[in-house]
Formats: sequence, C-alpha cells, structure tokens
Amino acid sequence: MAGLFPKWFNAFPTVSALAAVGGLTTVVAGFTYFATPKFWRVGYMPKQPGGGFNHQIHAGKLGMDCRYCHTKIEESAEANIPNVATCYGCHAEGRLALFTAPEGVLHREKTEFIRTAFAQDKSIEWRRVHKTPDYVRNFPHHVHVNAGVSCYSCHGQITTMETVYQAEPQSMGWCLDCHRGVKTEPEKYLVPKDKVTQLQWVQTEWLADSEKHKAEGRKLLETLKEAPPENCGACHY
Amino acid sequence: MTTLHPDKITADRLAGRARPATESMHDPVIGDGTLIDDPGVRPPLVLNGRTFGEVTDIVCGYAENAPPRWWLPAFMTAFGIAQLGGLFILYLVITGIGTWGLNNQVDWAWDITNFVFWIGIGHAGTLISAILCLFKQKWRTAINRSAEAMTIFAVICAATFPGIHIGRQWAAWMLFPIPNANQIWPNFRSPLLWDVFAVSTYATVSLLFWYMGMIPDLATLRDRADLRLRKMASGPILLPIVPVRVDAIRAYVYGFLSLGWRFSARHWHRYEVAYLVLAGISTPLVLSVHSIVSFDFATSIVPGWHTTIFPPYFVAGAIFGGFAMVLLLLIPARALYKNFADFVTLRHIENMAKIVLLTGMMVGFAYAMEFFIAWYGGNKFELDVFLQNRAQGPYAWAYWTMISCNVISPQIFWSKKMRTSTIAVFVVAFLVTIGMWFERFVIIVTSLHRAYLPGEWHMFWPTPVDIMIFVGSFGTFLTLFLLFMKFLPVFAISELKAVLPQASPHWDGYGHGHGHGHGHSNHDHSHANHANKEAH
Repeated sequence: MAGLFPKWFNAFPTVSALAAVGGLTTVVAGFTYFATPKFWRVGYMPKQPGGGFNHQIHAGKLGMDCRYCHTKIEESAEANIPNVATCYGCHAEGRLALFTAPEGVLHREKTEFIRTAFAQDKSIEWRRVHKTPDYVRNFPHHVHVNAGVSCYSCHGQITTMETVYQAEPQSMGWCLDCHRGVKTEPEKYLVPKDKVTQLQWVQTEWLADSEKHKAEGRKLLETLKEAPPENCGACHY
Repeated sequence: MTTLHPDKITADRLAGRARPATESMHDPVIGDGTLIDDPGVRPPLVLNGRTFGEVTDIVCGYAENAPPRWWLPAFMTAFGIAQLGGLFILYLVITGIGTWGLNNQVDWAWDITNFVFWIGIGHAGTLISAILCLFKQKWRTAINRSAEAMTIFAVICAATFPGIHIGRQWAAWMLFPIPNANQIWPNFRSPLLWDVFAVSTYATVSLLFWYMGMIPDLATLRDRADLRLRKMASGPILLPIVPVRVDAIRAYVYGFLSLGWRFSARHWHRYEVAYLVLAGISTPLVLSVHSIVSFDFATSIVPGWHTTIFPPYFVAGAIFGGFAMVLLLLIPARALYKNFADFVTLRHIENMAKIVLLTGMMVGFAYAMEFFIAWYGGNKFELDVFLQNRAQGPYAWAYWTMISCNVISPQIFWSKKMRTSTIAVFVVAFLVTIGMWFERFVIIVTSLHRAYLPGEWHMFWPTPVDIMIFVGSFGTFLTLFLLFMKFLPVFAISELKAVLPQASPHWDGYGHGHGHGHGHSNHDHSHANHANKEAH
C-alpha cells in the first residue's frame, strides 16, 4: 500500500543486514582486542607501602641476586615475598654506610617503615602485582626456574623497574606460546640454568642474539625431564 | 470485512443466526474428509466449500479479532510456568550445576535428555515444510505453518539446555570460534561442536523458511488493516490513554514484516523459487541435524552409546516424536477454533497417524536391533548394558515405559477407525511424547549410571530444579505457540487457496450452484473481495 512507509525505507533491509554483519564483526574484533590481559593487565603498577622497594637500585645498580629475597623459587611453587627480617638485615639502624652519607637523611626516611614494622613485629603489606586466576592451580616457579626459564621471560626487565609493574600479558595464550614454541625455538625461551636470574645478561647477551645460541638452546631442551605440557590438566586440576 | 471473530461467525451460522456461507457449494461426495476407498474420488483438502474470500477472512480473522475466551487464561498459565522455569534457571546459574541431581557417574541426565527431546520435536516441522513440499504432498498446506512455528519454538526450548548445562554460563561464548587471549578454540573433532553448528544452521534455516512463507500473508494482514484505516473513520484503539488505532499499529508492524510485498507476479515468481531453494536446503537438515545429535553419543566408547544404528534411529525417532507433538497441538486447536476442522481435516489427522505408525515401527526395529547387535557383537559389556541393565535393571520401568508408549501404543493405528478418531490419536500422541522423552532418558542415564566397576554405580534422581526447568520449557513452548496463534496467520493463505477445488482450471462448480468463487480467483485482490462482501 502506498504511503505506509517512505521511499527511503526501501534501503532498510540492506542497511540492517550490513549493520548486523558490521556489528557482529565489531563485537568479535572488540572482544579479541579488548577482552585480554594484554589490554587490561600489562602495565599494572600498584603503589607499594612505605617507601616501596626499588628493584632498579637493588637488583639493577647493586646487582643483588633475585634469590637473596625470593629465597624459595628453586624449591617451591610459590615465589615467596621476603619477610621484614630480610629487609631489616640490611636496613637495621646503623647497618649500612649510607646512613652517614649526605643523602643518608632521605634514605633513612624512606626506609623507616621497615624498622617500624620490625619493631612492632608486623608484616609489611606488599601489594601483589602478578596474579594467576584461581583456576590455574599453583603456577610452579621451581619447575620453570630449574628448567632454565629466566625470570625475564615472565616478569620483564625487573632490574630497571623502580616500581614493579606487570610487563607480560600472562594470559593462557601467552603461556601456550612458550610451551609450544620452545619445542622448535628453545633458544628463545630457555637460558643456561646458572643464568636464570641474570636478567641483564639474558636480555642483552642471550636473547638479543638468539640466532647464535641455536645449538646451545637445543641442548638445553634435551636436558628437560619432560616436554612442556599442553594438556588442560597440567595447569587446571 | 467483519470485526467478528471467525469462530463467532461460524457459530452464528450453525445456530441459524447468520446467512449460511455457501450452502450451494457443499461437495456431495465428501463425508468427514478422510480418504475414501474409491480411488477415483479424492476428498478435498478444505471442507465446507470455503471460498477464496472466506479463507482469507478466517485466517486473518484469527489475528485481527479478540482471541477466544480461553486464550488469555491459557496464555497467562503458560507464561507463568515459563517464568517459574526462568526463576529456576536463575537459581541454577547463581548456585551451580550441583542443584541438579547429577553425580560423578551420571554427569548428563535431564539436561541433555530435554535438549534431544526438544530438538527432535522440531523435525516434524522441517519434514512437513521441506520433504513433503518437494514430494508435492498438498495436504501439508494446512499444517505447515503451525508445524514450522512449532519447530522454531522447540529449537528455542532445546537451545536453553546446552546453554545452561555448561555450569559457567558466562563462558558460553567459548562454543563459538572467537579468537581470544586464552587461545581456547573449539575442538573441531568433537561432535559436541558439530552439534553447535548443526543446531544453529537448523534454527536459521527453519526461521527463514517460516518467515519467508509468511510474507504474502503478512502483507494481506497489512493491507486489510490499512484498508480499515482508510475506509473507517474510527476503530478500536490501543488504550484509552494512548489513542493510537490498533489498525495503525497492525499496518506498520505487519507492513514492516512483509518487506514491501505487493503481490506482483514477479514477487510470486521469486517467492516460489526461493521457497523451493529453501526446501532443498532444509531437506538434508531433516536427516543431518539429528544424526549429528546422535553422534554426541555414538562417537563415544560408552557401551550403550557406541552404536552405528544411532543416526537413522534418532532421525526416525525425531520425526516420530515431532508428528506426535504436531498432533498434540492441532487436535486441541481443532476443537477450540471452530473453523480449524475445515482446514485440518480428518484426512490430515489420518495421514499424520500413519506417519506415527511408520516411524514408531522404525524406532521399534532400532530397539530390537540394539539388542541383537549387543548379542551378535559378542561384547559382554554392551550385552550387559542392554540385557541386564536396561531391560531388567533399576531403570527397567523407564525402559518398558518407552517400549509400551513408542512401539505398542501406535499399533492401534492399523485400524482406520482409530486413525480417524481424534481422541484416540490425541491419546497416542500424548503417549508417544512421553515415550520419546523416556527414550532419551533411557539412552543417556542407563548407559552412564553403571560403569565397569560396581564401586562406580550411582542412581540418578531428579531434583526440583531439574523438574521445574523442564516444566518451564513447556511453558515457554506454549507461550510462544499461543502468541503465534493470536498474532500471526496460522495457515498459509495462498497455499490453502491453491488447494481449493475452485483453484482448478477445470472446476465448474459442484454440479449445481454457479461457481461463486470464479470472480475471486485472484488472491492479489483479496481485500477487494472483502470490501464487496461488506456491501452485502
């Protein structure tokens, strides 16, 4: 019947079909891009209590080994956060020469929270940066460290971070990239076991020129007790 | 056209209060509309000598007038049950799958039983619309619209169950291949994934078929509403505070849905071609969808499921259960709507009863073959599942319910008297529906509940949540069907007109009378007919 709908309405089926296809594509593309840890988690940098812990000074400038504080990474699934006593071991009143240096006043102020906590027998409530979901059961740090996966692979260049932030997506797909990729390009994912905590060396000497280490990488892969698992039950059980 | 409900008109005529419709046109040869033994005489598909105009008036009248008195209470009841089922689904989502009676051994039970049950129901609609169309079975025209509607509503009910049985319903998107940060990808070797594609293809094609077939009829409804808008100064309005004429809403809603259909010869030509193409696409779906549903079981190595007979057996069962559901819907509709029996005649009922008898014996054969192969195959675990567990085990009552309902009860259809008794057909259809639900229950639960070690043996008993979600799905189904009965053309008007005796080029009236239908043979101008009639 003439007149019920205006003439331009003839375009409606075409336009709505295009809109439906376009809308669906947008939703899927948006989901693929935005609904990811890569988008939401990378760069997460919570403010730490007190003066914080400057990894750039401790692990970078002073060259302290990761295991000085994270003592259990070679034997435990859990990468432990050090207790106050570990901090206090160096930061006790009068322990470090720095207290007498000109910049000592600032240093004294920034580390006061350690001595306060120690005196009151309280924990320092460090904020967690990296967290696997609850359906990933206990990511085993010791297995990875002993297999020759450097801290750098999952946590980034910690030695340059004044405040630690999440550098990698740590999504399941990202885990699988390594678990699958290591079988063909082990030199990109494994380092000699004594270099696991040498983050600067791993970045500049090993990974920067991984082509050269193909043979070494192959040998490292062969020393693994078992192939990196890809089955669901390896992590979800 | 009239503002009276078609049933009211018929009632008035029967009571002698109104002019008899076309008294001179009663066919002298027809009795009750069932097949006559003389092959030279074929009873017409539409009884009581309906004219072209009357067909339009009746079918549109159902959509245009206030529904019969029983409609609103029936709708409210069905809708209430659907809402109750919805509340239980909400409780399930909030609380978890543990609220069902599942256990370590029986990890699929009513959820998948209901899914297969509802998906199977839909197959009758597709068979009627596709295969009977290709075989030019003209009796399909009276039932195809409602059977296709039933298909779609059944698929909606079916789709609920896999959706909620996954436990973490918010992860349902993982059914589809969407690139994601977890690199989780559907397993293309799994029949459960084939199922997703089979069912979604089925739903899409069925919806297209149903909708496309309805376009000319929606356009008729649009034109009638538009005509009333133009010709009548006033008409019923939506609500006293919203003074919009109902006909204006009808004209725009039906007009929107009829996609600019103008009844031109070119439109009809394209419509016929598209209809044939969709029938061609749907035909393999009748066989493929339930075959793939059966793969969910048949490709596993569970004794009782690992059976090559499953695909044809499931397809036959689906058509069997589907026709039973068509009968369950149409027989009451025939009783409740006075004009229905002119279109859905006893011949239709009898034809469907014959299909129920045929497919019932096909599933009976499959039940027997399962036992035969279990013995002949020499696998003692399989034999144990069938002989010890199904036939004599703790669920034997379910097994024998299935056998009595599905194999024994349709046997009464060997008698023509039973096939043409609406009560007998209704009772058997009801029993078959129960039997087909139990068939899926027996297949799923009795294969799972006793594994190889007696220590793994568990019984499955449903919880109120199991039961109410299933009952709720019937509420959803009936709600949708009642809405369909009220708002959409329940018969394919143009197709019905094509099977009227007047549509034959050789028709010259029923001996006496003078071919009242001749002047109105073109449905393009159906509204013009009604304008003429008003002048009477």
